[in-house]
Amino acid sequence: MKTLLSSFLLALLVAFIVALSLSLGAVSLSFEQILSGFDASSEFYFTIHEYRLPRSILAILVGGMMALSGALVQGVIRNPLASPDVLGVSQGAGLAAVILMTIFPSVSIFWLPWAALSGGIIAALFLWFLCGSHSGAIKLAITGVAMAALYSSAVDFLMLTKPLEVNNALLWLTGSLWGRGWNQITMLLPWLVLIPFAFSLAKRLNLIGLGDDVATSLGTSISMTRLWALTIAVGLTASCVSICGPIGFLGLIAPHLARRLVGGRHQVLLPCTMLVGMVILLLADLVARIINPPIELSAGIMTAIIGAPYFLWLLFKVR
Amino acid sequence: MLRALNILLTTLLFSLSSAVFAVSVEDSKGTFTLDYAPKRIVVLEFSFADALASVNVSPVGIADDKKPTRVLKEVRDIIGEWTSVGTRSQPSLEVISSLKPDLIIADINRHEAIYEDLKKIAPTVILQSRGETYQDNLKSAAIIGKVLGKEGEMQQRLAQHKDTMQRFAEQLPNAVEVQFSIARKDNMYIHTADSYAGGVIRALGLSNPEITKGDKASRKVGLEQLLAINPEHLILGPYSTPNIVDTWKTEPLWSVLKVAQNGNLHEVDANVWSRCRGIMAAERIAQDLVTIFQK
Amino acid sequence: MLNRFKKQSYLVQCTALLAVLCLFIWLSLFSWSIVPVSASQAITALFQTDKSIIAHSIVLDLRLPRALIACTVGACLAVAGAIMQGLTRNPLASPSVLGVNAGAALGMATVTILAPSFGLFGSSVAAMLGGAVTWALVMVLGSAWRGGEHGRLVLAGVAISALCAAFTKAILILHEDQASAVLTWLAGTVANARWGHWHQLWPMALIGLVGAQLITPTLNLLNLGEDNARSLGIKLGWARILCSILVLILVAAALSVAGSIAFIGLLVPHMARSLVGHDHRKLLPISAMLGALLLLAADIISRPIIFPLETPAGAILALIGAPFFIYMVSRRNR
Repeated sequence: MKTLLSSFLLALLVAFIVALSLSLGAVSLSFEQILSGFDASSEFYFTIHEYRLPRSILAILVGGMMALSGALVQGVIRNPLASPDVLGVSQGAGLAAVILMTIFPSVSIFWLPWAALSGGIIAALFLWFLCGSHSGAIKLAITGVAMAALYSSAVDFLMLTKPLEVNNALLWLTGSLWGRGWNQITMLLPWLVLIPFAFSLAKRLNLIGLGDDVATSLGTSISMTRLWALTIAVGLTASCVSICGPIGFLGLIAPHLARRLVGGRHQVLLPCTMLVGMVILLLADLVARIINPPIELSAGIMTAIIGAPYFLWLLFKVR
Repeated sequence: MLRALNILLTTLLFSLSSAVFAVSVEDSKGTFTLDYAPKRIVVLEFSFADALASVNVSPVGIADDKKPTRVLKEVRDIIGEWTSVGTRSQPSLEVISSLKPDLIIADINRHEAIYEDLKKIAPTVILQSRGETYQDNLKSAAIIGKVLGKEGEMQQRLAQHKDTMQRFAEQLPNAVEVQFSIARKDNMYIHTADSYAGGVIRALGLSNPEITKGDKASRKVGLEQLLAINPEHLILGPYSTPNIVDTWKTEPLWSVLKVAQNGNLHEVDANVWSRCRGIMAAERIAQDLVTIFQK
Repeated sequence: MLNRFKKQSYLVQCTALLAVLCLFIWLSLFSWSIVPVSASQAITALFQTDKSIIAHSIVLDLRLPRALIACTVGACLAVAGAIMQGLTRNPLASPSVLGVNAGAALGMATVTILAPSFGLFGSSVAAMLGGAVTWALVMVLGSAWRGGEHGRLVLAGVAISALCAAFTKAILILHEDQASAVLTWLAGTVANARWGHWHQLWPMALIGLVGAQLITPTLNLLNLGEDNARSLGIKLGWARILCSILVLILVAAALSVAGSIAFIGLLVPHMARSLVGHDHRKLLPISAMLGALLLLAADIISRPIIFPLETPAGAILALIGAPFFIYMVSRRNR
């Protein structure tokens, strides 16, 4: 009962923040004006239909997917400090994007998401190649961290040797929903297919949570589950990062918050985590837009600032 | 007969008037066509504001980083009030849209990612601004003049600019080596021969240090690299005071530099020299140089 | 050859390393100078100084302090890493992995941008404070004291690093004007090192290095395991606090002069351990020399890459260090 109520309230919260996102911004709009914004002849058509609406939808998609990916990784690695970031996927994507921006500045920005996506996937493959499928979860995490460190030092190296392109790259690397619209949403849609697959793993993730021995004795193949869960997590993260840039802390804190609300059963936890992720990213993007208009901040910075205090508190709790 | 003549005249006039307002130019994304003279223009770089002001057109919005004083004073005097649309790197599309512009001028380097969105708000000319050379900038100004329906006026202004620069050049020595650098708290960036300031310096008959040629970016240098460049004149645009040069001045090696021996270190407004770019900015730079050399 | 070197006595190893170090210092005095400096001038500048020769000025005013600072910074970071690894008994512990670098960077960025008038001294104090806070956080969260698993400590370090990096980036973006200063600092370089920096560096480095050598017996006992150490009369709490303070002094001294240089603290103790084993009395001096050598070498390599401009030495080190880190991880868990 409690879980149902929590999920319902979360969904309500998502709807409420979407409504706020549509009405607030550099120009505040009333309810009637928002409605008129869906009509192509209205003067608010661009603001609502071409700008705030796609941005909110994108925040919902990316927030949900990143959070889900975080829940999967934490479920598999069984460490509360794990997140998609420890797989090095975001950093690999970041490196590919920065290579494109600094070494081939003449290439159209249109290719940026594709470069980032392939960077992320290559990073995941490389990690898998280094660890193999039978290695322990902690080893996987630490190798991922090492890979991430390698990619970020390569990014730093490039940014320092090519000073002119630094600002564009820096903006992308903090994760932002600025300038993203319907095109990016259509690019993200095919990846939604992964979500049902993730939900279908829920039961096996519960068993893994009981410990390797218990799970094996109950007939769950640990390494297969792990492989599937991580593959899905990589796909979700890589696709989101390729659109918005790395958005920090979302995959780390959303599962924790959800776990406090509805407990650790993955059948409930996974959908709830997605809702929490949506709320966080919508809120971060809204604040980033309205805090000092017309200056736009990066949503990635806002998620860090919103998420960091909670994260610290959480760390002390789980100690 | 009279009626036929009347019709003929009207059609002729009509076709003429529409011909006057239809322009077509080549921008960084191909051909750009506009069939009216724009009245409400939003510009997303300072160099475009300069081009507009050069033919007495006021933009309704400028991406001025929310710091109005970054727009060149000469430009501000001409264009009067405007609305800030945010930073140059991330202009706010909502604010741009709320200004209901009928033309947007954007920078291919910074704004390529939002080109499609900008086009949904208003026809958008996308040109090079960041990292452009002096000659690129003049070409962009000519294109902007054409789009504004003020081709003649812009050509006239460009010709006048050429004369002005020529007059300044006559007051300056020939082929003297001048290096422009930005100084911050603990580093220095030189603007190379192919940078905007480097191009203006060359256009005025002065010269750029040999070592910086063939490099478009601005480059961070230490005292050792500065020694290798060893320019005859060093023009410093400080973004903060005290800056690294104040530290370097206390070191014995500083006195080895030609600029230290001959007292040829000069300070100018860093904003004008490195951020603004444009016809009036170039004239300000030239004016600064003449002041420096006639001291 | 490496094996033969390993078999030599400690004294021979020390002398050999010292000789190589001197050779490298000499190399760094004249190599890849834009204003030509000859190999012999590098020597004569030191002993028969003639300030009217540009080459002599370059050697004495730029190259010599730069070489000395590279050596000292490298030594400090390597020793700090060795202490951290001894203290936590975790082979992956080092200032950069456990978030001390990131915390120091955040402190430094905050002061540079919010209170630029504080100057060099202010930013090094801020770097030290930031490093201290993150170090304490990571230690507590990773439950290092209670012999928690190695992975947990590292994950805590990574999480805290990410947190600090996010704030540092936010500050960078909000103050674009100062961004290049902080970016340079984040990359880590000794290119702008002068005698002024040296005077700021050496007292702290001396305290840290000598202090580190003095606590080596304690570190050796700690390595026997907590219970053994306690039964041998070590006050664990005090030993840990003392070690932590030494680490912070060393790291803050190094970072405030050279910026955030990563991986030396991770790499060097392992190299040193393969030479002299686990005795900290020998391990620390060898680590110091190897660290000095490594940073100096990175600094020399950083010059020709985009000659005549320079690459930050820290970036070079990271490119060498990260693959080593990966190798370490995959070997340990096999």
